[in-house]
Formats: sequence, C-alpha cells, structure tokens
Amino acid sequence: MDPILVTTGWLAASVLFILSLRGLSSQLTARRGNVYGIAGMGVALLATLTSDAFADGGTTRWVLVIAALVVGSFVGAQMARRVAMTAMPELVALLHSFVGLAAILVGYASYLQTHGEGTARTIHLVEVYLAVIIGAITFTGSILAFLKLKGTVSGKPLLLPARHLLNLVAVALVVWLGSRFFAAEDTSGLWALLLGTLVAFGMGWHLVAAIGGADMPVVVSLLNSYSGWTASAAGFMLGNDLLIVTGALVGSSGAILSIIMCRAMNRSILNVVFGGFGTGESKKPAVAPSGDGAAQEVREASVDDVVAALRAAKSVVVVPGYGLAVARAQHAVREMTELLRAAGCEVRFAIHPVAGRLPGHMNVLLAEAAIPYDIVLEMDEIEDDLPDTDVVLVVGANDIVNPSAMTDPSSPIWGMPVIQVWEAKQVFMMKRSRAAGYAGVDNPLYYHPHTCMVFGDAKDTLDRMVAALRA
Amino acid sequence: MRIAVPREVHPGEQRVAATPATVQKLVESGFTVAVETRAGEHASFPDDEYREAGAEIVDDARALLADADLVLKVDAPTEHPVLGVHEADLLKEGCFLACFVWPTHAHELLERLAARKVTTFAMDQVPRVTRAQKMDALSSMANIAGYRAVVEAANQYGSFFTGQITAAGKVPPAKVLVIGAGVAGLAAIAAARGLGAVVRAFDTRPEVADQIKSLGAEVLCVEVHEDGAGAGGYAKVMSEAFIAAEMALFRAQAREVDIVITTALIPGRPAPKLWTADMVASMKPGSVVVDLASTQGGNCDLTQPGEVVRAHGVTIIGYEDFTSRLATTASQLYGTNLVHLLADMGGGSGFHVDMDDEVIRPAVVTHAGEVTWPPPKAAPKAPAVPASGATPVAATPKPATPVASAPGGKKKGAHAAPAKKAPSLAMRVLGPLVLVALAVGWVWLRATSDGSTADPSVAAFVQHLTVFVLACFVGWQVIWNVTPALHTPLMSVTNAISGIILLGGLIATARPQIDAGVVLGSIAALFAMINVAGGFLVTQRMLRMFRKE
Repeated sequence: MDPILVTTGWLAASVLFILSLRGLSSQLTARRGNVYGIAGMGVALLATLTSDAFADGGTTRWVLVIAALVVGSFVGAQMARRVAMTAMPELVALLHSFVGLAAILVGYASYLQTHGEGTARTIHLVEVYLAVIIGAITFTGSILAFLKLKGTVSGKPLLLPARHLLNLVAVALVVWLGSRFFAAEDTSGLWALLLGTLVAFGMGWHLVAAIGGADMPVVVSLLNSYSGWTASAAGFMLGNDLLIVTGALVGSSGAILSIIMCRAMNRSILNVVFGGFGTGESKKPAVAPSGDGAAQEVREASVDDVVAALRAAKSVVVVPGYGLAVARAQHAVREMTELLRAAGCEVRFAIHPVAGRLPGHMNVLLAEAAIPYDIVLEMDEIEDDLPDTDVVLVVGANDIVNPSAMTDPSSPIWGMPVIQVWEAKQVFMMKRSRAAGYAGVDNPLYYHPHTCMVFGDAKDTLDRMVAALRA
Repeated sequence: MRIAVPREVHPGEQRVAATPATVQKLVESGFTVAVETRAGEHASFPDDEYREAGAEIVDDARALLADADLVLKVDAPTEHPVLGVHEADLLKEGCFLACFVWPTHAHELLERLAARKVTTFAMDQVPRVTRAQKMDALSSMANIAGYRAVVEAANQYGSFFTGQITAAGKVPPAKVLVIGAGVAGLAAIAAARGLGAVVRAFDTRPEVADQIKSLGAEVLCVEVHEDGAGAGGYAKVMSEAFIAAEMALFRAQAREVDIVITTALIPGRPAPKLWTADMVASMKPGSVVVDLASTQGGNCDLTQPGEVVRAHGVTIIGYEDFTSRLATTASQLYGTNLVHLLADMGGGSGFHVDMDDEVIRPAVVTHAGEVTWPPPKAAPKAPAVPASGATPVAATPKPATPVASAPGGKKKGAHAAPAKKAPSLAMRVLGPLVLVALAVGWVWLRATSDGSTADPSVAAFVQHLTVFVLACFVGWQVIWNVTPALHTPLMSVTNAISGIILLGGLIATARPQIDAGVVLGSIAALFAMINVAGGFLVTQRMLRMFRKE
C-alpha cells in the first residue's frame, strides 16, 4: 500500500487512542471510548500489515505472524473472560509484564537486523539499549508485583542491608555496559546487551520487592507508566511515531495515577519507591495512642446491634477497603444496600483514592455487584455529609479512616487525607482481627466513642446482616 | 350575621371552636362574633385576646345563644350542666349550627334540633373530596390524635424510643406497630419515627403502602390479596380469610413490638376488634397499647374507653380525648376548618345554605324542620373512588417530619469534573524537565555529529522527539479529566493500547527471509497481542458493569 496511506492510518490510530482516553472522563462516554481504542488498534494493525515492507514476505512468515496474532488474541480473551474483578490488580500487573517482554524482544530483533552508519547507528543503539533496559525493569517488576498481589510472594517489603547502594551500583553497571555496547562493532556488543538486560531484570525485581503491600496501587500505576515509556522507546528505536505517541499517552497516564495515589497518601514518589514503608522498620506500631492514660477499650457490637442501628438510620455511608475485595463481599454489600434503600434509608459509598490495590479498584468491585455508580462518591464529595450521617460501615478498610493521620504528627501516616468517619453519629468497623492495617499503624478509631468493632470475616458478617434485615 | 362561640360543656373537653386568630378572619369576612367568657381558657386563649381580635365577650350562655344566627361548637349540643337545660333548646329558632354531630348515634338530638328548625352542619360528615379538604376537620383532628398517641405512649413506656449505644451499655430502639395508616396512623408513624423508633405499619388498603414507606416505616403485609379500600378513602369490612391472616400476623408481631397504636375505624360501625386479649397477654411486660378507636368501642379487647388500664403488665391507653389533650393546636386547626366552611358558604355578606352543593348537602343533618340525614344516595355520594383512594390522606396536612428524601436525589457526585490542579504541576515539573532534556540532547548531538548539521538521522530523531513531547502534553491533559471511579478501566485500556508495541514485533518480521529477528518479532507480537485483546475485552467487561439508576 501507498506509504503515505500507511502513515495516515497510523495518524488516525493516534487520534483514536487520544479520543479513547478522553472517553473515560465520564461513565456515560466510557464505553464509546473503549470502542475508539479498539478501532484505533484495528486501523494501526491493518495499516501495518498492508504496508509495502510486508509485501515480500514468504508464506512461512505469514503463518508465523498470523499464528502469533491468533494465539495472542485467544489467550488474551480467555484471561479477560476468566478474571474475577477482585483479581483485577493481578491481571493488570501481568499485562504490564507482557509489554516489557515484548519491548525486550523487539529491541533484540531490531539490534540483530538494522545496521546504520555513524551518528545514525549510535542513536539507534542508544534507543535499542534504552528500550531493552526499561522493558526489562518493567518485566520483572510487573512479574513480582503480580506474584505479590496474588499472594504467592509475601507483601512484606524486602529490605536488603545496603539497598540504596545496591541500586546505585546496578545503575552504574548498566551505564558502563551501555558504553561497551555502543562502542562494539556490528552485533558483537550482544554480550553487553544481554548482561545489561540481566542487571535490569535484577533492578526491576529489587525495586518492587522493597515496596510494601499498602503501596501496591502506586507500584501498579508506576509500572503502568513504565510500560508506556517502554513502548515510546521502542517507537524511537523503530522510528515509528504511532508507537511514540501511544507510549507517551500511556506513560503520562501511569505517571498521573501515581501522582494521584501519592497525594492521597501525602507522600512523594521517591518516598514510596525508596522508602520501604509499611514495614515496622520505624518502630511505630508498638506505641499505643493513649493520650489521657485511660484504658483503651474496644467496644464490640454483634450483628444484631448493627442491624438494629441500620434499621433506625436514615442515612448510611459504607467505606469499603481492600478487605472487601479479599472477602469478595461486594455482592453481600449490594444486597444490604438494596434492603436498606427499600426501607427508605439513604445509602452511599465513600471511596478513598488508595482504597484497594489498584486505582479505582473499589469502584469496579461495586459496579460488578450492580451498585449504581451515582451513589458511589469520592472522598471529597461525601466529606461534608458525614456529620449528618447516622451510621458509617467500614468494611475491610483501616488506614484510610485512621484519625492519627490528622492528630498525631509522629504517625507514619501523618498528613495523609483520610475519610473522617468518626464525625458520623455511629461507626461500625468490620475487621477480621485486631491487627493493624498494612501501614502497621495502630488506629485510634477503634477506641473512639462513636465506634463499635464487628470482628469476623466481612462476607460472613454481611451475609448474616442481610439475613437479619430480611427477617 | 352574628356568630356565637359558646364554652364547651362536655366533660373534659378542652377545645374551643374559635381562636383569636380565626375570630379575626371571621370578623374580616363580615361576621360579628360573640364569644362566651372563658371559652378558650383550657386552650390557652384568654378573653382579652378574643376582644383584641374583635369579638364581643358575653357572660351568659343563654343570652349569647339566644340572638346568634350562627353557632360554632366543637361537641354536639348536650345537657348544660350549669343551666340545667339542653343546649339545643337554647338555640335561636332557624339558626345555623356547626359542630361534630356523629349522626349515627344521635337520633334523638337530630329530632330535637329539627324541632327548633336549626340547620345543623355535621363537621364529621364533610365528604372527602378535594374541594372540601380545607374544611375537613376529621383529618385535622386525626393528625393531632396520631401525634398525641405517640406522646402518650412515650409517657407510659419505660425506655427510649431511639436506640442508643452508650458507654453504659446499649439500649435497643423501641419497636412500634401502627395499625391503620389513615391520617392518624400516618401522623403516629411520623411522630414515632421522629423519636427514633423502629416503626411498622399495617393497613388493609394496598395504596397506602407507599405513604407508609415514605415516612420511613416498614409495611407489613398478609398473604391474602384483597383491596380494603371502601368509599371516601376509608377502609371497608374485610373477608374472613383476610381477617384470619391479619390476626396471625398480629399475633406474631405482639411478641416483638413494644408499642401498638391502633387507629382502625370503619365508618358507621363499631371499631373492629383487632388486638385481642391473648395478644395483649403475649406482649412483653411494660409494653403499651394506644387505642385511638376507643370512642367507637376500641380496637383492643381490653380497652376501657376514657381510661388507662394495666393488664398482663401491659398499659392500655383508651383516652377518648387525644385531640383535646393538644387543645391549643386542635382549636386552631378546627377553627380554621370552620372559617373555611363559612367562607365557602358565602362569607359574612352572602351566607346561605345551598342544599344542592355536593360538599354542603351531605353534611347538613337537619334543615328547615326536617332531619336530612342520611343524605340521598344518588346525588353527591360518588366522589370518584379511584382518585379518592389516595387523595384524602395524601393531601391532608402532612406531618412536618422531614420525609426521608429518596436516595439518589443527591445529584452531586457521579461525574463532577476531577480537580484541575493538573496544569500547574505539568508546568512546574514537566516543562523544565523537557527543556533540560532538549539542552542535553542538543549538546550531545553537537558533540557526536562532528559538525555536520545536515545529518538526516539527527533531524529524524529531533522530529520524533517533537512528537514525543507533544504527545506527553496531550496525554497529561487528557488523563487528568478521567474520573477517579474509572481509574481501573483506565489502567486496563492503557494496558491494551500499550500493546501497540505489537507493531514493533510485526515490523521486525517484515523481512524476505526468516532469521532470528523474525522469530523474536513474532514472539513479541504474540505477547503484545495478549495485551491488546485482554486489555480491551476486560475493559469492556468492566465498563458494562457501571450502571446508573
């Protein structure tokens, strides 16, 4: 096909991708946005496969390509169909790793195939090297994030003794290997590229290993960003503007999500990535927040107490956290919501930006349970209404409702915006046990006069509540 | 036209048929008003206030009534305890009398009034049609009775209405059962909810279920389907099967509830016995039954009309004067109903009794020497049943409890534009970063390209860089507009489109012969394709779940 037409196709695809992201600005246009994305990908694929460069391939090559596309589509479709909404963070992390892997492979292929002269060659080699290194970091980082989210690897941060030094050495090593790689003639620099890849693998692994479970939303967003930059680097390498544009879009998207997550925890990216937070490293958790020396007594409520309070309530706010996802309690929550609303009670949901293990995770879970999105509100939207709320149900959340973020400057989560549930008339906190949250910080909310604890598995408790509400 | 407002003589009656405020309205519409001295005493309206409103205060009831053209009263005329004569005999011949009459049980009275050629307007017989709502004293009084029933119950009940969890232990909320959700029942529901109780309500008429729910109470139902709506918005007598089911329901409730308020009345019949002695016996000690139907015999077997009794540890309140116990407001509302009635009949200048008027005729029980009750069936009796079912209750003075607003009424959140603090940050961080990168790039290129500015590969690189930077800006702007609720779909969609690296893999395979690069490219394409397919499909799956109400 005419090369101009191919380029035009790529341009069209870029525009469609931008429109696709734009569509996500509201639930009303989101589906259309996804369709734009699919259309963009279709156009890009069609333009590439019909370009002149593809015209003189043999049958074997076509078989290879088509087999790759068909198998890839099939596997992808299966994964998309099977994944439980509670497992979305894992899927997203896994998909990131594929982008990294693909970038590495493309980088190697490009290195083995293309040869330029002088400056052009140097520029190309730099691009190849960058694409492979970023791809490698993304790959192992995402794989580890996937394993951590899945629970195969413990969420506890791994803190090697001289980890910052270790990172520095690795970076220096990568730079040195790079210089060897650029200097090498023909494809004789392959060893340097291979070694560089291995070091980058190690870096990616170590980077994510050092980050605690509570910071997973940031990690996943960061890896999202990396996968974008990887695609962009590959675009530079191949001189393809479509890859550059798309990669840049994805890269900015991930970066923005990381920023939002960090703001929601009142921490900087550097602090999250290198902080080793949520560890017990700072010996905070032992300190009980006793101000007046009074015995810190936790009041416990039974399911019947909660049901009685809900029956009498005019307005209820549910604050879900990761515990909701772990217990897969979203459907039980929906049933409870329906019963309460049928009884004339106003039920709403308050979502903290870092609730769950993925930005927007809670929204997706609640949507899966068919809870209408117009009663699911952001933290800022519900803040003013909390003092007038009769009952707040905290389901599997802890750090995001911890008052010490506002009252205790020595707390590790000091300054983090939290949902001020204690302003409400009555708070019921559903928790599996008395253990501290991921941040390892004790929660004065347990002892707050408005709070009653309901211990037990969230789903089990909610199911019993639903049964009692029905009766 | 001269209006007389005598002092009520019925024992225990605290109300009065006119208040200073309604006297003023009557005077404004052209009547002269005379009020018996101390008529408003029990309702907290001293004589002076009547005087200020323009009424003449008369000491002697006999004189007051003797020259009145219109007499406004609360209760039906009865033996005057002081004067020793029947009030009806004090009325001027041919005058107009408005009061509660209850003509079903008042044959003798009607004869007596007819003999004196009095035109008697029975306030309890005002038809329940839209036009007559403003003079519907039964609804006004029922509203008050419902409220007062809850207050009386609270007075006898030994605990909070609202549930509390205090440092000293928890107190469960009171459970209140309201039987009959007419005006009184709805007022009782609202008052009990207002105090924080858990309220259930039962009514034989299915159309009131929504009104019960709107006040925050739970609707109890029986399995038998039968419409209990009778004429004029009242209930009718139900079938035996229905009553059996109803009784079973009540028996179950009796063991659970703390307070029962019965308001079931069927026009022209004794009140149905709904709360039997065995139900009372099965209630928790300390429970309270309030019987608003006690004047008609009571809904509860053990009710003693006018009394508070205790049986099986349960207090049963059978007062007949709930409205009288809220005399100030009851008088004000009743007086206002009368003002509306007189205005409707022509006011001070054009007052007349129109026996063809569909609102007036049914309530006139004696006229021109005849007993005119019951009214002829044919003419005005049909107040369009389907519509009336809902009207009388729905349109009566709604209790002023804030009705729980329907959830979702709050249009706030959904997709409020996310914070737009982005650009400032973009300018602060990204801008300088790009400038630095450009400078470094330029220096590096200058140093490595031995002065030959025309190197096409450098030009191409700079061109790609331009595209890259612009794309970053576009991405930055677009992404900040994404609503936080869609952050997960955003991640999966960006996952899918970062699968664009697929093209890199494909381009690597675009070669005449198979080499290592082609194989690597194919594998890359495979993994990238997983991303593309998986990302888009899972996004679609997620987005399909987001639904609005």
